[in-house]
Amino acid sequence: MLLSVLSSVFNLKIFFFIILGVFTGISIGALPGLTATMGVALVLPLTFGMDAIPGILLLIGVYVGAIYGGSISAILLRTPGTPAAAATILDGYEFSKRGESGRALGISTVSSFIGGVVSVIALWLISPQLAKLALRFSAPEFFLLAVFGLSIIASISGNSLAKGVLTGGLGISLAFVGIDGITGYPRFTFNNINLLSGVSFIPVMIGLFAMSQAFTTIETIFTPDQVTQKVSNVFPTKADWKVIFKHAPISGVIGTIIGIVPGAGAEIGAFVSYGQAKRMSKHPERFGTGIPEGIAAPEAGNNGVTGGALIPMLTMGVPGDAVAAILIGALTVQGLQPGPMLFAEHPVLVYSIFLGMFVANVAMLVLGLSSLRLFVKVLSVPKSILTPMIFVLCVVGSYAINTSFFDVGVMLFFGVLGYFLQKADASVSPAVLGLILGPMAESNFRRALLMSEGSYGIFLSSPISWIFLILTAITLLGPFVGAYLKKRKAQA
Amino acid sequence: MKKANFVVSGAFTLFALAIIFLSRSYPPSNHGVPGPRMFPLIIATLIIISSVVLFINTLRMKPEDDVPVDLTSRNVLNVYITIAGLIVYITLLPLLGFITTTSIMLLLFFKWFSRYAWWKCLLISVLFTVGIWALFSIVLNVPMRYGVLI
Repeated sequence: MLLSVLSSVFNLKIFFFIILGVFTGISIGALPGLTATMGVALVLPLTFGMDAIPGILLLIGVYVGAIYGGSISAILLRTPGTPAAAATILDGYEFSKRGESGRALGISTVSSFIGGVVSVIALWLISPQLAKLALRFSAPEFFLLAVFGLSIIASISGNSLAKGVLTGGLGISLAFVGIDGITGYPRFTFNNINLLSGVSFIPVMIGLFAMSQAFTTIETIFTPDQVTQKVSNVFPTKADWKVIFKHAPISGVIGTIIGIVPGAGAEIGAFVSYGQAKRMSKHPERFGTGIPEGIAAPEAGNNGVTGGALIPMLTMGVPGDAVAAILIGALTVQGLQPGPMLFAEHPVLVYSIFLGMFVANVAMLVLGLSSLRLFVKVLSVPKSILTPMIFVLCVVGSYAINTSFFDVGVMLFFGVLGYFLQKADASVSPAVLGLILGPMAESNFRRALLMSEGSYGIFLSSPISWIFLILTAITLLGPFVGAYLKKRKAQA
Repeated sequence: MKKANFVVSGAFTLFALAIIFLSRSYPPSNHGVPGPRMFPLIIATLIIISSVVLFINTLRMKPEDDVPVDLTSRNVLNVYITIAGLIVYITLLPLLGFITTTSIMLLLFFKWFSRYAWWKCLLISVLFTVGIWALFSIVLNVPMRYGVLI
């Protein structure tokens, strides 16, 4: 199998797609307003006609590149290219103010690489074991796993738990549309033939993540683009290497753990890593003044999330973040079902993803250190030209999946809905995760009760079920208990 | 934000009520095994509870937390005009064909958003449209020939 994996990744065609993906990802990530999720959603339609391995690795290249690319505009323009780079601004822009933007970008590049590699190693070590464990899961365990995933999504979504549940509920409700998988009864189809097979979730994702973001960009379309500065001396100094090696591996591990948690994305990984580096420092007061630790930690943290997010996605079919949700869509289009059986039935594909992700991180390092000036030039592409092009890519991308204009309408509808939800400060990520986890919860809930002939005791019959139940209870009650204890402490 | 929260709360309540109304005729549970209407009812109930929680939280919101949501400024009106333009574009797309409709749509948006000369906008829009058409039609084999024109 090793030879098959090596030959499926180490060939010119695959290298080309990985490098193309990383290049596209860095360019998309560098542009403020274009997120990693948007980038992956826009590139996804290009993979429909490709084989599974090059298609998935192209998307992973975009993902890895975009999370890193966000730091370029964060450091140069004080505007995060992606939300994941928000923490990098704190110290990164201070470097630019001193005329040391090249040094900051070099630290960011190497730290992102180390964070990414740590996460790939974790993906490689943890996933097969987790998949073996997941092979023992039956319908009750999968139902409780989906409920656990949904509970976390709700609790970490934006500023409001209620809004998170609402958008998550919207996503689950969308999954009801179509013929019921167990009884064959059509639900919410309104006698429309296009709805019989359900709402295709790729147009929904393109609408929610790419189109809605493009609408938000229109609000500032007449604001002049910011001028960028020249970049030089990107290779880190000896002192910077020391800092990078001290902080990046730890932040990579933190990012990976956060990535594994369903729903927690690169933005959280970056901020938690930044906070941890600050706590570890003998001089926490220097954070925010432009020190290498302030770039190394968040950048390794956010790229650490990339591999972590793939662990629950590949082993159990539960997306670690919104990009992983899109990757589930990409695998499904290829006729592959993420989950433990993927490891048993398609081991070459799974290990090619691991190896390809490592290659993507190397490509990111090489491109980052050698071509930063080119990516800085990308920042000067006017949004007045770029935004209408994104409209076209959204339309063609949503049409291409089923060659259906109905899907284009669905995409536009969810683009508009996503725009207004963002205006109301409601995160759209729970909707997409609900769209994936909802059907998983429903089908396994009903299957479990079919197995037990209606006895709900089946959900308490295995230790794994209990673990998921306890985790769900901790997730849902944890914030309330924490707030209560904080209040009591304040009163005392 | 208060107004927006009330609208979100109301809209989602209506959405949940519609789910309950539509799923009332679906087959019920059979011998303890849930039928197709059980999950929609559970999720609709959750949506209603969350809408009520959002409504109550918004009522309790401190005035200083009430950040106004911009829905009527010039910048937001530009978004509404863009959405209207895209609806027209998507309607005409299958009737007229990809290259014609997309080139015109891009030309108009480029000219509106940028200060480039007409010929530059036209050149970029046609080149980009043909490039995308070739990529999807020739490389990816997506059927892109539809409409009375091209």
